[in-house]
Amino acid sequence: MPQLKNLEELQQLCDEIKQAERVRRETSTVITIGMGTCGIAAGARETLQAIEEELNQRQIDALVVTAGCIGVCVREPLVDIQQAGQSRIVYANVHPAMVPRLIEEHVVKGQPVKEWVVGRMPSDEPALSLCR
Amino acid sequence: MDQVADSPAIALSGSVTVCGGARCTSARCQRVLRAFEVELTRRALGRNVRLSPSPCRGFCTAGPIAIVHPPGVLYCRVQPEDVPEIVDQTLIQGKVVQRLCYDEPEAHRSLVSYQDMPLFSKQVRIALRNCGLIDPERIEEYIARDGYAALGKVLGEMSPEDVIREMKASGLRGRGGAGFSAGAKWEFCRRAPGDLKYVVCNADEGDPGAFMDRSILESDPHSVIEGMAIAAYAIGASQGYIYCREEYPLAIDRLEMAIHQARDLGLLGEDICGTGFRFDIEVKEGAGAFVCGEETALIASIEGRRGEPRPRPPYPVVAGLWGLPTNINNVKSYAMTPQIILRGANWFGSIGTQKSPGTAVFALTGKVNNTGLIEVPMGIPLGDIIFDVGGGVPHGKKFKAVQTGGPLGGCLPAAALNTPVDFDSLAEAGAVMGSGGMIVLDDDTCMVEFSRYFLTFAAAESCGKCVPCRVGGQRLLEALTRISEGHGTRKDLQIIKDVSTHMMSSSLCGLGQRTPGPVLAALRFFEDEFITHIDEKLCRAGQCRALVRARCVNTCPANVDTPAYLALVAQGRYAEGLAIHRRRNPFALVCGRACPAFCESKCRRGEIDEPVAIRLVKRFMADHEFEKPWTPEPIGSEAERAAAAEKKIAVVGAGPAGLTAALRLAQRGYQVTVFEKYPVAGGMMAWAIPEYRLPRGPLLAEIENVRRAGADIRCNMALGHDFSLDDLLGRQGYSAVLLAIGAHRSRRLGVAGDDKQGVIDGVEFLSRVAGEATMRAAGLPADAPLPDVRGKRVAVVGGGDVAIDVARSSLRMGAREVHVIYRRAGDDMPAAHLPEEIEAARQEGIRFHTLVNPAEVLGNGAVSGVRLQQQRLAEFDDSARRRPVPLGADSYVLNVEVLIPAIGQVPDVSWLHGTEIARHRGDTFIVDEAYATTRPGVFAAGDAVTGPATIVEAVAQGNLVAAAIDHWLKTGQLVKPHLEAEREDVPQVYDLAAYADHHRPATPRLPVEQRDGNFREVEAGFDEHAAQEEARRCLRCDLEWLDVMKLPRPGIGDR
Repeated sequence: MPQLKNLEELQQLCDEIKQAERVRRETSTVITIGMGTCGIAAGARETLQAIEEELNQRQIDALVVTAGCIGVCVREPLVDIQQAGQSRIVYANVHPAMVPRLIEEHVVKGQPVKEWVVGRMPSDEPALSLCR
Repeated sequence: MDQVADSPAIALSGSVTVCGGARCTSARCQRVLRAFEVELTRRALGRNVRLSPSPCRGFCTAGPIAIVHPPGVLYCRVQPEDVPEIVDQTLIQGKVVQRLCYDEPEAHRSLVSYQDMPLFSKQVRIALRNCGLIDPERIEEYIARDGYAALGKVLGEMSPEDVIREMKASGLRGRGGAGFSAGAKWEFCRRAPGDLKYVVCNADEGDPGAFMDRSILESDPHSVIEGMAIAAYAIGASQGYIYCREEYPLAIDRLEMAIHQARDLGLLGEDICGTGFRFDIEVKEGAGAFVCGEETALIASIEGRRGEPRPRPPYPVVAGLWGLPTNINNVKSYAMTPQIILRGANWFGSIGTQKSPGTAVFALTGKVNNTGLIEVPMGIPLGDIIFDVGGGVPHGKKFKAVQTGGPLGGCLPAAALNTPVDFDSLAEAGAVMGSGGMIVLDDDTCMVEFSRYFLTFAAAESCGKCVPCRVGGQRLLEALTRISEGHGTRKDLQIIKDVSTHMMSSSLCGLGQRTPGPVLAALRFFEDEFITHIDEKLCRAGQCRALVRARCVNTCPANVDTPAYLALVAQGRYAEGLAIHRRRNPFALVCGRACPAFCESKCRRGEIDEPVAIRLVKRFMADHEFEKPWTPEPIGSEAERAAAAEKKIAVVGAGPAGLTAALRLAQRGYQVTVFEKYPVAGGMMAWAIPEYRLPRGPLLAEIENVRRAGADIRCNMALGHDFSLDDLLGRQGYSAVLLAIGAHRSRRLGVAGDDKQGVIDGVEFLSRVAGEATMRAAGLPADAPLPDVRGKRVAVVGGGDVAIDVARSSLRMGAREVHVIYRRAGDDMPAAHLPEEIEAARQEGIRFHTLVNPAEVLGNGAVSGVRLQQQRLAEFDDSARRRPVPLGADSYVLNVEVLIPAIGQVPDVSWLHGTEIARHRGDTFIVDEAYATTRPGVFAAGDAVTGPATIVEAVAQGNLVAAAIDHWLKTGQLVKPHLEAEREDVPQVYDLAAYADHHRPATPRLPVEQRDGNFREVEAGFDEHAAQEEARRCLRCDLEWLDVMKLPRPGIGDR
């Protein structure tokens, strides 16, 4: 991206990016993996690899995003799956062996794997709803 | 499907993708694609709209999926018939066809929302607003969430003075822990003379257990960059430094990446966004010295010097980096700044408390369920953080204390759980907010060892520049080490206090000044623990290695040599194991069935998988030897026993305390007579514990052992009725009397109607039920009728062992319904120390009503029901549990015909009139260290002293009071009794590693259907193989202890 020449460009960039991010999320499956030190220590890199492999194998084009630490360190690796910009369903302690089932049941069939779910972040601005 | 060809001169105005992944065999997708092709051609949009199949994006059960740009909408379950509408409404008119939009399935919406989980619902995330939600390596995602909008606002609409005014108005206090007003600091720095100024971010975060700053830097580095830029603008700086410890490589990487991305966009560097403002940041890596978290030492480090503090004033805001005005703030303070600017000071001030507005970020670690990072409004009660957000203490352990402020902070006990967490309230309570580390401790933590851990750290981190810290830290550490190793004296406590005073008043910087913090706080709230370590060389928590041979022995009230008998069982040497057990606890058969097994709660194996099933192994060992009668060995020399034989001792009460004392005294040669009120001896073992928990055969056999030692047990003899205390000590010539009369008198319910017919006292109920079994086993006719509950609805009030025993007995006696009423939450029930009991009760069909309290007993003469007042949990009490308080006027009536209060017992002292024996308010006897009451020659032990407790605790007291009486009779001195710490070092004969993957077997139990209407023993024991295998899961902590103490391990041939 080129350098911003003035504050209006900053505002414009913000609006454009917001729109693009919104569209990205609303038209895809987005899989987010926590990759803070806690996540990595718990095996998030291996989980990420397993997710990419599984998506590859099934030729599913989902958006795989790495994030930082949301603060539930004890349940890492955390993976959340969001489809069409709706709720982010958060899974805890996700190890590579769990990935095929997550992709098959949640991503493809739309059925969350209840026993692995920590919770659900509703709406597309989840943190703001946590930030009164 | 081929793209519709288009001429390069015409720009595409839209696109439609229809899912058509190679794996997707759905023919419907093909038809939809074709339908679009047709419609686009028909509407002459073929050249303007790119149509293509897209790879699968998931959603397969909601397919076919069509994604239309603009506006960028995803349609589900698209049929060919829908296509014209889509093209017309969305592509041409720009409207969304709602009915085709993705509707979140019920399966998703029914999942628990973060808003409804206390872990999140009590949080307010300002500093952590983006953490875990965005990709920290993409600046776009930060900008999409209003990133750099605050900087834009500041540069475009605010003057530096405006910014400072806003920050001051917000009341933000430095989140590094000192709590100084950030706005005021920025103002000082702005006003300081000079043109060259610096902004520094303290990201050293040296506290062990603190990782808030690291997490923010790893997850949302731009928030800190933006905050620093705003601060730089306000104070007039153009260069910033982030001092980040090099032990945080990921944080440093992401920071560097973020800085580069910001520079690329022109948000850092020269002429930011054309406003003329310039600011850039450099990351300086720390080298791991804790003292560099102190601002003047940090400055020295950036300057390339050794990290050592210097006296202040002058403060860094006036003379900091290279002697120039420098603003230093913590990561979290900068991270919150953009939000304060965007939403305003009033918004920030509306969160938290008046003097501590906003939120605080904590790293919650230690013995807590939800370990991790949280952000809560200031002023939230400490207990809410630990129990609601943190999810409480795991594994059913009890909360002991919480350490705040890291190695320079202090701890707070359960009594402080209602303290609001903010700078001033914590300071008033004697604790420190610090940067935000919060370590929760349970009763497995030893406060001596814990404070020593922090002291070791702080002393090692002393830079050495000033004497109070350099030398004082060492002296403190030496004193604490002596105490934890069993060589401490009372003088060491004085040394600690004196040295601490000097360090606090004369150290050059906060490190030395606050190093004594943890140990002083521990002494303040847990001094008895230090004294126990010093006087008794005892570490109750089981942590101080030198004092704790093995946690099981250490925590057993009677200090039974558990590792020894487990090791012997592992080898099949049951008789020897039993003999060792009996040296401290003669009731192996009984305890193998009815002990709460404190040993198991501390078993180190439990930290790996499950604790060793010590009680069941013990039960097997004792059961195996059941047929062999035991004649207890003599204690002491022949001469001693001959002298003792001339003295008579009376024991009143044949419960576990009285019987054990009688046994030990008889073993020492005394003439012991036990006077028992009931027709058969045993105390609560015989007259309260039901048969399905404790069959009478084993009990009577173990009582017989006491007789075989020479004690004369006389039943049907009640104190105050058949004989008096004066009589015993006077005419009958007893040299000493032991009152081991237990606590058999029930507390009354204390509500209207509690004397109606149908209200049966809990202990009275059990005495008849258990008593019937005991009389039957002793071959005697029952002396009291069984309570009449057949076909009736029964409610038991209480949550302890008595309540559960009453409930399960009632069921077996044919009650139609059995309810247990408890005023707190289920997890708080005292009977929860025997989780299998509550589980069994539920399995058997007993209904638990929690958070209700009886308000009134209803009925006309006879009980017809009980009104139960709903409770809610309010603030914490000293037991770290929330106090139940009535919930408005909400109540309901439980219809029952029998109401059984089982809410605690006290000793029956109705016979006491006139005698000079002092009691506590609850009627338990006041005794000194030698178990002597206020009447000469009269001692007391067991539940009569402690209040209702357990068999093993009564046995332990029996051992001790016997030693005390013995000493008194020989020397005339009343001293605290001390039992020789005998230990057996049994060699290890098998490979421990072979048992690494062995798990504890399930407790063998009678199936629920077979328990109906009878009192058959519910728990079966292990068989021989299972017992041996289980005994081999023991980690042999006792052998490790020998190594620690540099003692030789036993060889195979030794024993």
